[in-house]
Amino acid sequence: MSSPGEEKPKSPLILVIEDDSQIRRFLRAILTHEGYYLIEATSAQEGIVQVGLRHPDLIILDLGLPDKDGMEVMRVLREWTSTPIIVLTARSQEKDKVAALDVGADDYLTKPFGTNELLARLRVALRHALRAVQGSDEPVFRVGDLRVDLAYRKVFVGEKEVHLTPIEYQLLLMLIQNAGKVVTQRQLLHDVWGPDYVDESHYLRIYMSQLRHKLEIDPTRPRYLITEPGVGYRLKIE
Amino acid sequence: MDVEPFDQDKSTKPIRPPDERILVCISPSPDSPRVVHAAKRMADDLHAQWMAIYVETPRRFRLSEADRNRLIQTMRLAEHLGAETTSLSGRRVAEEISAYARKRNVSRIILGKPTHPRWRDFFFGSIVDDLVRLSGTIDVYATSSEIDTPHPAVTQRLQKPIQWKHYGFSLLIVTLCTILAGLMFPYFDLANLIMVYLVGNVVVATRYGRGPSVFAAILSVLAFDYFFVSPHFNFAPDDAGYIVTFVVMLLVTLTISNMTIRIKEQAETARERERRTTSLYEMSREFATNSSVDELAQIASRHIEDVFGCQVVILLPDANDELQLHGIEQTSSETMLQELGVARWVYDHGQAAGWGTQTMSDSERLYLPLLASEGKMGVLGVLPSQLRQPFKPDQLHLLETFTNQTALAIERARLTEEMGKTQLQIEAERMRSSLLSSVSHDIRTPLASIVGATTGLLRQKETLDAHTFELAQIAHQESERLSRWVRNLLQLTRLESGNVQVEKEWQPLEEVVGTTLLRLEEMLANHPLNPELPDELPLVPIDSDLIEHVLGNLLENAVNYTPNGSPIDLSAWIEGQDVIVEIADRGPGIPQGEEERIFDKFYRIHPTDAGGVGLGLTICRAIIKAHGGRIWAANRPGGGSVFRFTLPLEGEPPQVESEG
Repeated sequence: MSSPGEEKPKSPLILVIEDDSQIRRFLRAILTHEGYYLIEATSAQEGIVQVGLRHPDLIILDLGLPDKDGMEVMRVLREWTSTPIIVLTARSQEKDKVAALDVGADDYLTKPFGTNELLARLRVALRHALRAVQGSDEPVFRVGDLRVDLAYRKVFVGEKEVHLTPIEYQLLLMLIQNAGKVVTQRQLLHDVWGPDYVDESHYLRIYMSQLRHKLEIDPTRPRYLITEPGVGYRLKIE
Repeated sequence: MDVEPFDQDKSTKPIRPPDERILVCISPSPDSPRVVHAAKRMADDLHAQWMAIYVETPRRFRLSEADRNRLIQTMRLAEHLGAETTSLSGRRVAEEISAYARKRNVSRIILGKPTHPRWRDFFFGSIVDDLVRLSGTIDVYATSSEIDTPHPAVTQRLQKPIQWKHYGFSLLIVTLCTILAGLMFPYFDLANLIMVYLVGNVVVATRYGRGPSVFAAILSVLAFDYFFVSPHFNFAPDDAGYIVTFVVMLLVTLTISNMTIRIKEQAETARERERRTTSLYEMSREFATNSSVDELAQIASRHIEDVFGCQVVILLPDANDELQLHGIEQTSSETMLQELGVARWVYDHGQAAGWGTQTMSDSERLYLPLLASEGKMGVLGVLPSQLRQPFKPDQLHLLETFTNQTALAIERARLTEEMGKTQLQIEAERMRSSLLSSVSHDIRTPLASIVGATTGLLRQKETLDAHTFELAQIAHQESERLSRWVRNLLQLTRLESGNVQVEKEWQPLEEVVGTTLLRLEEMLANHPLNPELPDELPLVPIDSDLIEHVLGNLLENAVNYTPNGSPIDLSAWIEGQDVIVEIADRGPGIPQGEEERIFDKFYRIHPTDAGGVGLGLTICRAIIKAHGGRIWAANRPGGGSVFRFTLPLEGEPPQVESEG
């Protein structure tokens, strides 16, 4: 799945909307080397036009564009397309990231970011987009020595079965459904505990800690349940 | 009074003229303060503007010191109670007062009832009577005094030293007149000779003053009698009718002398006033063109010294509110120390003290507070001239005017200075924030390209030879280090500008530790690290982003100062009301006595070494302090260093409903 061209006859088309020429250059070098097709836009206006004209499979959008606020671009795009969007942000403010995710971004990358991180995000976003169309969920989820039987609601670490409480299982399930993608705290609280609990982030922290103690070998060095500080959680799959 | 305050009971009160102005007359009498208070009461009742006036007459120039002090006190009292005070000089008190009252549209004049016996009015005239006559439509009130004791009959007059020389000159002039008259005698009538003496007396009166001129008048009559009235060279005249001539001559001479002296005195007073006004004007003009406090102090000293013939010191408070000398004067330090005490008192109390006042009068200077609209600006000290003549009331009043002008000018300068400083601070803050955004954007963007490019290069490990891979790795690690450094710099700038808000949330410590270790995975690759966080560790109230920064900086510090392969230990435990977090290494440790200093900004143990720029620990301390905890460093038993910080468990941890 990670190598393009297997699922689709063509390599995925990626639109980069970024005003800094050096970042565009580096993205072009990496992405074309990895076999993606690339189109570039240097402003928000041009980017929006390109999305309408070329129908890319994925959009990489810099939030700090000179002509328009990145958040505004997101809103405009989300009115008529569900193409996955990965936002690039130079800001370390978590609020911006959460806001972008709330408006409809699929994931984010904070500058500076490494190539591996970038490629991993791309693959995850493309796969989720594909799954949304084809609906090819498998009955068993595997990552490392963690195995979750979704049909029978059973969780194994190695050969040993682990007993989860209903809420712990719900949490894990949500992360599995979004495997590899960041899920915001708000989203998790809303879907697992209900709309009244969206601000009770300590619930999430306590249950996530319990899950780590049950699923991770060393909870202080998690391999699967990754915290995205100030934003949410991500189930790491690579 | 321009606007009459709104009065709800207006209908029940008698209608009064809208523009009441009250003038109170001040005298050196001990009753005068009472009169001032009465005037104040009346002014309050009528919501009227009020003024106080003192008229200085030639006779009053020679007040005793006690009278002078009383007068000054009364003037101050009136000023303190809100009156506009003025002192005028003139010959006839009643005339001056009524002229001033008319000029200022005064509606009521208040003065004290006379306390002297009635016969004095017969000879010297009564101010009250004169005023009533002269004031026209203005009401005159004479308030009663409650003091029964009469005004002390003997006023201690200031004795001027008798100028014997002047008497000598008087004698000489009369002698010259006699010689001239002797030359004229054969040709002129006796009446014409008297004229010669009159001229001589006018000369004496203009030049030598009162005493010598009386002396000359008597001498003239005697000389005229002795030399020119027959029998010559005999005082007893033939004709008794000459007695009348002598008496008339004496009276005319005395009157002319007296009038001459008065005119001269008035001219002098006018000249003196003119000089002072000019000087005051000059000083104001110079104030307007100078803006530094030091210059203003010098200008004030120069002008006041000029006008009053005294030495002036100006003491202004420094940043610590300690008075500092700003004048240009040399004195022995011992007396200065004592004098400073007086100055300090004046500054603290906002009242005049020192020589010539009732407070600390043994001081060699008179100190006046420099009072401006916003408060005390400093103290002005005056060392009177060698003659030690006390200040006359109008002089003192003038000195106060000078002092007030100086205070206002200094206040203006201070305010300008402060405004400049504020402007500078705003500029600096603007610079800082523009630098911040410049660093955050212009450095981070190229860094993003470098990190991206180098990680892209490292991905192709199989196609690179070992040497190229090594170089790419160095480039990558250094770019990561630069990123961390930029992050530290930004964080410090934010912390120092006070823009960082600590958003504490109750959370498990292991989550923050996990995030930190993951972020620094690459950097920590060569150091075995085993976090020991007990399972029973409670939730701690922290801002995870900031605490992650602290942990990151402490770990980076440990990596920078220890060789590859050397282990790093991370642990935490509860102690009392705190959770203590410890990061320990097996490096060279901290030199003795440097345990505190390593937290200082830009401080580094070995400045030439690789590693940070000395911001990391400073940031740690700032963040931990903002969390209400402490951070400290020590040497580790068995070698290495230990860093510990506390996170207080303040407040109620949130409760979580258990499942089921």
